[in-house]
Amino acid sequence: MTITMVKAPAVSISGLTVAYKTDAGELPAVSQVDLELAAGTITGLVGESGSGKSTLALSLLGAVQKPGRVTAGSVVVDGIGDMAKLAGEELRTVRGAKIGYVFQAAQNSLNPLKTVGKQLLDLGKAHKVRDLKGLLRHAKDLLDRMGLNADRVLDAYQHELSGGMRQRVGIMFALVLNAHVLVLDEPTTALDMITQANILQIVRDVHKEQGLTTLVVTHDVGVVAEVAHKIAVMYGGRIVEHGPVTQVLAEPRHPYTRGLIHAIPRLTGDISAAKALPGTPPTLGTIPKQGCVFRERCALRMEVCETVEPPAQRMLDGRTVACHAVKEGAA
Amino acid sequence: MIEGRGITKTFHTRGGMLASKTVTALRGVDFAIPRGGAVSFIGESGCGKTTLGRILAGLEPLEGGSLIIDNVDVSALKPKAREPYFRKIQLIHQDPYSALNPTRTIESTLRDPLRLRAAQTGRPESWVNEQTEHLLSLVGLNPGYVLPRYPHQLSGGMRQRVVIARALTVEPEVLVADEAVSMIDVSLRLGILALLRSLRETLGVSVLFITHDVATARYIGSDGELYVLYRGSVVERGAAETVLAGPVHPYTQCLLSAIPVLHGLEKPGPDRLVPNEPLDERKEPPGCLFEPRCPFATAACAQRPPQLGRLGDTIQDHACLYPATRHVVAVPAGHGH
Repeated sequence: MTITMVKAPAVSISGLTVAYKTDAGELPAVSQVDLELAAGTITGLVGESGSGKSTLALSLLGAVQKPGRVTAGSVVVDGIGDMAKLAGEELRTVRGAKIGYVFQAAQNSLNPLKTVGKQLLDLGKAHKVRDLKGLLRHAKDLLDRMGLNADRVLDAYQHELSGGMRQRVGIMFALVLNAHVLVLDEPTTALDMITQANILQIVRDVHKEQGLTTLVVTHDVGVVAEVAHKIAVMYGGRIVEHGPVTQVLAEPRHPYTRGLIHAIPRLTGDISAAKALPGTPPTLGTIPKQGCVFRERCALRMEVCETVEPPAQRMLDGRTVACHAVKEGAA
Repeated sequence: MIEGRGITKTFHTRGGMLASKTVTALRGVDFAIPRGGAVSFIGESGCGKTTLGRILAGLEPLEGGSLIIDNVDVSALKPKAREPYFRKIQLIHQDPYSALNPTRTIESTLRDPLRLRAAQTGRPESWVNEQTEHLLSLVGLNPGYVLPRYPHQLSGGMRQRVVIARALTVEPEVLVADEAVSMIDVSLRLGILALLRSLRETLGVSVLFITHDVATARYIGSDGELYVLYRGSVVERGAAETVLAGPVHPYTQCLLSAIPVLHGLEKPGPDRLVPNEPLDERKEPPGCLFEPRCPFATAACAQRPPQLGRLGDTIQDHACLYPATRHVVAVPAGHGH
């Protein structure tokens, strides 16, 4: 096995705007996003449908598909450069080798006609890996560490594996080429609770053992609370709040974060204390063109919210919040 | 009142030559849904909860056991004679995107079943219009906005409300909600749950709630009953708040322990429990079905299946030889232990 102690790289997203061509013109799904993924941390990117979280995650891989394109900003990964500027062979090499991506519904993203082992060799050849035996050993080692019988899994077809096993195979594929940036898009959707808890434990363990910088994209605040150090909350293509998970959950500052956390069904406490947010999340076509994107659903709406987009302010406790109504010191 | 007694169901699959296999989905389930009540079935995929809902809605033929709807044993009737009984039970399933015909406006989606209903019950045509608007208002939608629109023009939450309104057109006694909020945006889920709760009060309709997301079960009413299903058997049953606050069956405890803790707001329960091994559906243990995975199993557990009851003087029914209350659910941070 090739053991190279690579330091987990930091990822720095700045001023990123990703727009999609539609009949109504080019509309931004991600708008002016600044986000730092500190080296060695797990960040949970949470948002509802249409928040732009998956588009943001794809831009990390330089994989925004047409009719979408990065119209401004950069995604700089330490030791690689700006993902938004890479193309062709260079981009293809970086994907997998430097940045591992586990796709949404990874449970169904394996080739049903080939065994896992065959797909692993295909991956190795596509990336011109000379030492295929070494690749196999690394894959077995990763599968072992995730509690799977490696030989059995490599000989298996997709349909012979359970959802939780497929998810672990997805993580193995993302890391087997020694990527040190790992992106997981909805890693536990469609998994049962006990399997989900198991996968989240594996994500934490693998992150630590392999020395990664990890981004978990999800609609589920609970998943972020279980695995991540930091939480970034997305709404209407903006990061509205970003900070340490426990602090943000204990004391959310942005009205959307607050509303979202209050809207989570809980196992204890007064059921009437929990409330749905009024209105519905915006879609690409209904995101307001100016002002605050959340104002339609916001209880703290002010005049300035109509016209001026709130900038991300850095708070004393290190988090950033993008809201006109939030002032330093106010809870 | 809808009652099931000893409901069983087995699926036979043919996976190529000689590979046919039998999957037991339900192994003798008893339940009762009182009028206007709320009953939740929780468990993981493959536990039989969806099959049970489909049997109740008449979408899956009953195999063993009996189903009693308003004092009539429906299982003894001929298929044609069952229809009016099954109409009283309406299924709302998880995907509001595929439950509505994309080529029809909401108006035609609601009006057709209402016209049929009017003809059946001898109501005038004007009733159809009134009822269309009434039902939409009841589910929290603005008729003027929604009626001329197609499903794709509505959000997921609005679509699920239309699905519920359509189910109400036949004046059902029971709504079977199978994972009815799992595809709805988090900020809107409580709205749908509160709607189901309010329909119980305003219409006296009862709700059978089927979910893997245990916390949502509390929100259709704190007076609800909870059934915990494991591999087609009920392993624990009682008032929802009782079972969640003090589960006694180790499977319930493992299931509740797996629910994410909102660190910062909550702390993990002190007795969190993890099963010994993952589920292996090929194993058919002769005793308790959970025995191979149970951290507390003894030789006695492998002897014969335990019966649902109150062994050990518990408040709730359970099927375990060694019931013990464990505090596995997250507790608010800053309180408790």
